[in-house]
Amino acid sequence: MLSVKNLTKEYKNVTAVNDISFNVEPGKIFGLLGPNGAGKTTTIRIALNIIRPTSGSVSFEGKPITNEFSNDIGYLPEERGLYKKSKVIDVINYFASLKNLDKNRTADRAKYWLNKLGIENYRVNKIEELSKGNQQKVQFITAIIHDPKLLILDEPFSGFDPINQQLIRETILSFVNSGKVVILSTHQMETAEKLCSDILLLNKGKEVCKGSLSEIKRDFGTNNVKIEFEGNASFLISLPEVNSVDLYGIYAEVHLRRDVKPAEFLRNISDKLLINQFSVIEPTLNKIFIDAINSSNKK
Amino acid sequence: MNKIISVAKWEFLEKIKTRAFLISMIVTPVIIIAFAIMPTLLENHETDVTKLVGVVDKSETYFSGLQEKLKEEKLSGDLPRYVLVNLTPDSQATNNGNEDIVKYSDNKVFNDKVNSYLLIKNGGTDSVRLQWRSNSTANYKDIRNFEQAFNEVRIDLKFKKKGIDTSLKKYLSSQIAIQPIKINKEGEDKESDFLTVFFSSFVFIILLMIMIMSSGGMLVRSLLEEKSNRLIEILVSSCTPTQLLTGKILGLSMLNLFQIVIWTVIGIALTGAATISPEIFENIGLDLVYFVLGFIFYTGIFVGLGATATTEQEAQQFNSYISMILILPIVFAISTIQNPNSEIVHILSYFPLTTPSIMLLRLNISPVPLADILTTILILIISIFISIYLSSKIFKIGILSYGKRPTLRELINWIKEK
Repeated sequence: MLSVKNLTKEYKNVTAVNDISFNVEPGKIFGLLGPNGAGKTTTIRIALNIIRPTSGSVSFEGKPITNEFSNDIGYLPEERGLYKKSKVIDVINYFASLKNLDKNRTADRAKYWLNKLGIENYRVNKIEELSKGNQQKVQFITAIIHDPKLLILDEPFSGFDPINQQLIRETILSFVNSGKVVILSTHQMETAEKLCSDILLLNKGKEVCKGSLSEIKRDFGTNNVKIEFEGNASFLISLPEVNSVDLYGIYAEVHLRRDVKPAEFLRNISDKLLINQFSVIEPTLNKIFIDAINSSNKK
Repeated sequence: MNKIISVAKWEFLEKIKTRAFLISMIVTPVIIIAFAIMPTLLENHETDVTKLVGVVDKSETYFSGLQEKLKEEKLSGDLPRYVLVNLTPDSQATNNGNEDIVKYSDNKVFNDKVNSYLLIKNGGTDSVRLQWRSNSTANYKDIRNFEQAFNEVRIDLKFKKKGIDTSLKKYLSSQIAIQPIKINKEGEDKESDFLTVFFSSFVFIILLMIMIMSSGGMLVRSLLEEKSNRLIEILVSSCTPTQLLTGKILGLSMLNLFQIVIWTVIGIALTGAATISPEIFENIGLDLVYFVLGFIFYTGIFVGLGATATTEQEAQQFNSYISMILILPIVFAISTIQNPNSEIVHILSYFPLTTPSIMLLRLNISPVPLADILTTILILIISIFISIYLSSKIFKIGILSYGKRPTLRELINWIKEK
């Protein structure tokens, strides 16, 4: 388990990370979310032991993170790029050697992953000769070749087509299932919603919300219903039970006041509108993200 | 330690495969050799054609004498180098003033009747004046030959006139030269020649400069690449910044050592061909020690500073600072050669930025006491540790800073940060 306690990083003028704490358990993907400049990168760099926190601590399996731990970390940064003039296999070997992986194992695993990701034919090509997607696959391999205990992925899916996204997703999931600790940092709320069971939402260095995704959704406490209808639904906004309405032509998302029960609301409007379908909807992570960030910005 | 070697190996192998490296490895010695050999080649390949040279002398005193003396100048195949034509009678025939003789003879040159001509004014008097008139730049060898011949003829004539034994002339004209000998304790006297010393030391200093500049540039560029695509973050999450820095310096040093070995082999091969004086390699062992230590020291400084560059432009600027620091020893080098035992030279050899080049010079000029050698080497080694220590402090923070270049005060804060 990776455990972050009361982490704070202050620079001269700004506090990049302000007193955040979270635990990442093996077998689950932890989502580190937040808008640009929220402090995600700083948090990751501290976890990677690249920079030191002003206060607070990071520990893995109960031990503080030290230089020796670097061999057990895999990291895929958001900005991609490798040594363009070098050969694929040389680059993979170099990064594996920096993780103290011995030559035989490196050779076996490089072969395995190159095959698995479908780029075995580019083994001795220069990086610059590969397509962007394939370059990213090579970089993904360099992050996982040493079978790290802690894997930190920053926007792992950006730049991949849907088929390759699927491939990478499966790979990440197989890592999680084998008991690794995985942190996923992303802006793509749909991805996070599908993959992460726990999240931490940061804004301006502070925790906005954290915990298991299902709890957060419950606590977010929205009272939303989706109505598919025929006719004119513009009157909905004028009803006293309604906070706001998103109209989409043949259906509408209605945000009800907290004390209003969806069933009562349905009864009230059923004579005014021909309703084809009525359902209570859970808030999307996207919605939670936007609302939470907006309300924290207002404070 | 393993990681340092991994980094060093990577830097060495990846750089050695680049086209830029291969080109510089071959082109640099070619340029140096070309500069060394060119003058000799040019001189030897002078056109071997007999030249038709006119002589204009209104006093008609010197022509036969000149002809006699210059007969001795031969081309290969026993052909005469010069054929002299007396232009005086022809021009006298026009029977006009001085001006016209010159004009008439100039025309001979323009019409290619002669290649050039020697104009003798005030012949037979002590205020005799000579002009070499030709429509192209004068060949210094021809001028020298004619000067020598004329002066001998002039003295001969004077001696005859005064009734002095002409054999005295030889005595007068022979000059005794001083032969410079560099002595050492082993009792091997060596002829020391300024040019040899100059070249043997300068070759090393200039090589040191070229290498530091080229590898400094290479280093900063590769750091920039790693910074811009965030590879540096993967690197420093895999090893410590100090390991990375040390590995890079080590890799580059190996690369340059390899280059020197190749160049030395070329050099020795040329020495075999007697193109380069063997004296260049006299102190090769110690030369190499200073060379390598100097290289590591300078590179240590530049890695730290290079880590602060954030754009290609800044890297360029940075390179020009490097060259300024490197020129410093060259400025002092001349005065070192002229006065190897002066106070200032001694002080400079203890100042780490100038130690390598000053010591390279001193070693080849005069015997350096063992104590001096040991102290300066010790100073360099300590300086290397200090420079790498400070650089790694700056490097640690610099490689993760993007955007603005740090001010001097920020740099000092970086060094102070734990």
